[in-house]
Amino acid sequence: MERSWWWKAALYGVVTVLAVLYLIPTVVPEDKQPDFIKKHFQKRIQLGLDLQGGLHLVYEVNVDKAVASKVDRMSSDLEDRLRKDKGVADLTITREGRDDIVIAFKPPGDQVKLDDSILRDYRKALDIVARDPVAGVVRLRLEPDQVEEVRDYALRQGIETIRGRVDKFGVAEPTIIKKGTDIIVELPGLKSADFERIKSIIGRTAQLEFKIVDDGSEYMKKVAATVPKSDGKSGGIDVAPESWTEKDSGKPHEDVYLRSKNRDALMKFFDGLTGELAMPPDHEIGYEETQARGEDGQQTPDRYWRTYYLHKRAALTGEYLSNADQTWDQQTGRPEISFEFDRQGAAISERMTGDNIGRKMAILLDDKINSAPVIEGRIGARGRITLGGFGDPFALQQEAKDLVGVLRSGALPAPLRKTFETQVGPTMGRDSVDKAKFSMYIGAAAVVLFMLIYYRLSGIIANLAMILNLLYMVAILAAFEASLTLPGIAGLVLTIGMAVDANIIIYERIREELRMGKSVRTAVDGGFSRAFWTVFDAHVTNFVAGVVLYSYGSGPIRGFAVTLLVGIVTNLFTSYWLSHWMFDAVVGRRGSARATLSI
Amino acid sequence: MPAQNQQQKFFEIIKPGSTYEFIGKQRYWIGLSIILVTLTAVILPLNAYVFKSRGHMLNWGVDFRGGSEILLEFSRPVEASEIRKTLADVGFADADVVKYADPTGKKQWNYMVRVGAVSVVSEQQAKQIQESLAKEGEANLKRFEWSEGGDKLYLRYDRPVEPALLQSSLKALGVNTNQVQGFGRADENTYEVTLVGLDTEIRHALDARLGAGAVAAIPSVESVGAKAGKQLQYDGARSLLYAILLIMVYIAFRFDLRYGPGTVVALLHDAVITVGAFAVTYKEFSLTTVAAVLTIIGYSMNDTIVVFDRIRENATRLRDRRFDRVVNQSINETLSRTIWTSATVFFVTFAMNVFGVGVIRDFAFALNVGVIVGTYSSIFIASPILIWLNDKYVVSQRKQGPGRNPRRQRDELEPET
Repeated sequence: MERSWWWKAALYGVVTVLAVLYLIPTVVPEDKQPDFIKKHFQKRIQLGLDLQGGLHLVYEVNVDKAVASKVDRMSSDLEDRLRKDKGVADLTITREGRDDIVIAFKPPGDQVKLDDSILRDYRKALDIVARDPVAGVVRLRLEPDQVEEVRDYALRQGIETIRGRVDKFGVAEPTIIKKGTDIIVELPGLKSADFERIKSIIGRTAQLEFKIVDDGSEYMKKVAATVPKSDGKSGGIDVAPESWTEKDSGKPHEDVYLRSKNRDALMKFFDGLTGELAMPPDHEIGYEETQARGEDGQQTPDRYWRTYYLHKRAALTGEYLSNADQTWDQQTGRPEISFEFDRQGAAISERMTGDNIGRKMAILLDDKINSAPVIEGRIGARGRITLGGFGDPFALQQEAKDLVGVLRSGALPAPLRKTFETQVGPTMGRDSVDKAKFSMYIGAAAVVLFMLIYYRLSGIIANLAMILNLLYMVAILAAFEASLTLPGIAGLVLTIGMAVDANIIIYERIREELRMGKSVRTAVDGGFSRAFWTVFDAHVTNFVAGVVLYSYGSGPIRGFAVTLLVGIVTNLFTSYWLSHWMFDAVVGRRGSARATLSI
Repeated sequence: MPAQNQQQKFFEIIKPGSTYEFIGKQRYWIGLSIILVTLTAVILPLNAYVFKSRGHMLNWGVDFRGGSEILLEFSRPVEASEIRKTLADVGFADADVVKYADPTGKKQWNYMVRVGAVSVVSEQQAKQIQESLAKEGEANLKRFEWSEGGDKLYLRYDRPVEPALLQSSLKALGVNTNQVQGFGRADENTYEVTLVGLDTEIRHALDARLGAGAVAAIPSVESVGAKAGKQLQYDGARSLLYAILLIMVYIAFRFDLRYGPGTVVALLHDAVITVGAFAVTYKEFSLTTVAAVLTIIGYSMNDTIVVFDRIRENATRLRDRRFDRVVNQSINETLSRTIWTSATVFFVTFAMNVFGVGVIRDFAFALNVGVIVGTYSSIFIASPILIWLNDKYVVSQRKQGPGRNPRRQRDELEPET
């Protein structure tokens, strides 16, 4: 053997050993794996949703609905201002289509009252597309980038809320991603019994609400008195007191709340209360997840859920917000959040906060309290939220930014619309895998037999190459942690059939060369080199089709495209170079070249 | 030519040196292709308008048609007609109920139910609900919205309504809901109603008629909104075009321009006839089938490349021969590999077709058809077009001036043995 042959042997050996190592976590049960593997090779092939069972949902953001309601709100704001500030007595204001606001003034001359003092506030959102002084009609249109903004926020909010809801449900490995303007949710391994429940939870529109905390209530004191002393175990419930003073009047506030590491334990506790302790109909409990603070006010990694006793009615909701930003407190330099309500929102807020100075206002997104700041004064159109605690300023700023995100997206609830749904029970998957495996064995056996009968010794080489191809392919899929779908298995089976194609093309060429009376050595080398471009071109066209398939397909189809693409690449390697190397071993080098070849 | 070793014997089924006449008889073969393509063109509208039991050009899967496909597993014997009747009673008059072979063969009473709806409330039912709700209660229903995506309703009243009350009055109208919650501004009094899933509704209806527990399991549900279905159809057609275009560009780049059109026509031919096979058998044409057709497009190129490579090689070697003779000889020379490469793929796809289940089976069927047609088209479609283009091309070259060889040659410098 020549030296280069041995170098190749070493290279192929290393590749094969690596492939086997990558394959072990997928094939060998975890308790039988050696420690070395567990430490360095944990990646494995995942079973796709169609094989494992689970739920695949695609939602589209109903942007039209969100935009239309945004325009509706602007129209009623405009109407309000024209009537009250400008004294326009008679006007009709309507939304046309999704984006247009048409205002008809009577008398027509009143249209001048829609002047810059009003329009200034809408300059980022609305354009005047037509103004007819004679008829007294003005047409305004929402700027196109506003639509994109709505879509963008709605998508982000959608993904965030779905993630939050799914996490609450405890699904093992959820995938929640954005694809174009769609949100794709994949919940593998979900039990069939949970499908309905989780679908209805995911599909709900997230809501941002402001509710007043009813502190110092007799009810909470009574409830707190019935809570048994916690034994300190997780899931136990504690009673904790809290107190603060009003900033201006110095009036003290005292309250008690319940806390636990387990939200469900708290919910169960309140659900179980009856009789005198039953929840008053106009109140409810809100839950907030907070980080425990140490003695020094620094946050500790411990997280727990705490309760707030809330007035049930939410007079103020996220839709009244027009803007929110993270800013800095001029005096203390701490991060804070400033927000603006629109006119109607300002009126409600003024009434609501004015009546409750010194109390806390809970900000709820999706039934979960994000923050509950103390109301320090009457809040009209503009307000600020200062975050409590003395934590690391960077962490506080992050917290502030998160809250801004919540407030901004809450301003535009865009409903989600389900466009695609696949749910697969686990048994369906298992049956399919067994059947697919069986057909794979039959097909492989047919191919192996054919190659043996038709090409004899060279057939063995082709079969070896095909088996190595499968090995490399599956190892690469494992290394990428690709998920194997039913069409993906079809891709594997198909690869078995295609793997020997290159060998057939090369072998037929070698036979031709031999028929022309060339020596075995020359025939083998000639066959391989002359067939190379044919084989290469064939692989490229397959690859092109695979790439198109990958970019077009979704879910299971993508799994097929991935196996196909990986298979094409490994196949070129095994059926050409690796086979050539094996031939070199069989044929020998010039000195010892054999006279005949079993092909 | 001195032999360096004695002639070897090989196991051959297609003997070398064959001189089958392919090109001379091409008109018969092309005729066959034209018949098959025409048959496809005829059967599609026939399926849609003449065969009442079919009703569509292709048996579109839910992913294209929009609607829901639900597998039901019953714990006791049930007739399809009974299921159909139950479904019609709860408002799915268009339900398509077929017996479904269980892959393991153990469970007998499996049905596949297909309905056009994705939601428990259809547009018509939504109107009825609106009318009934408008008559009820003290609050006036100002707006009623039914979102076409299907799983929600939006109701706007002129004053606040208790969500729980709304839920129970919907229930009284036969509308099962998962949740009713306020939506939007508090003063808008709008409520978002989340309806129960279609599969749950169907399960309840069947359990109510056949006794609790009649539906043992729902192994799978697939539902696609009509709009998404349209989008998928469009994407599918577009991806086929992209694949064909890209392959043509590659072939034109690797060979020369004359070789491009033949491959494209051959690919289109393969795709059309595969679709035709689905039209005739009325097997379900789904996303997976499109994936199969794309695979066929990539794969059927293999044979064409083998033949074309040899044609190019021989065209340089046998410059004095007529081009169509060169092509015919090249096809003969490569016949064995053309057939055997296809055969090995056919083995495995046929095994999948016979032993596979569901999606895999239709996928394998498409590949079976595609592999056969693809092999055939590389000989009888791609090559004749190449000859035709070459004749035109060479003639025009000769007009410009003799002695110019228009072909790119790769093997030209290799010594002949």
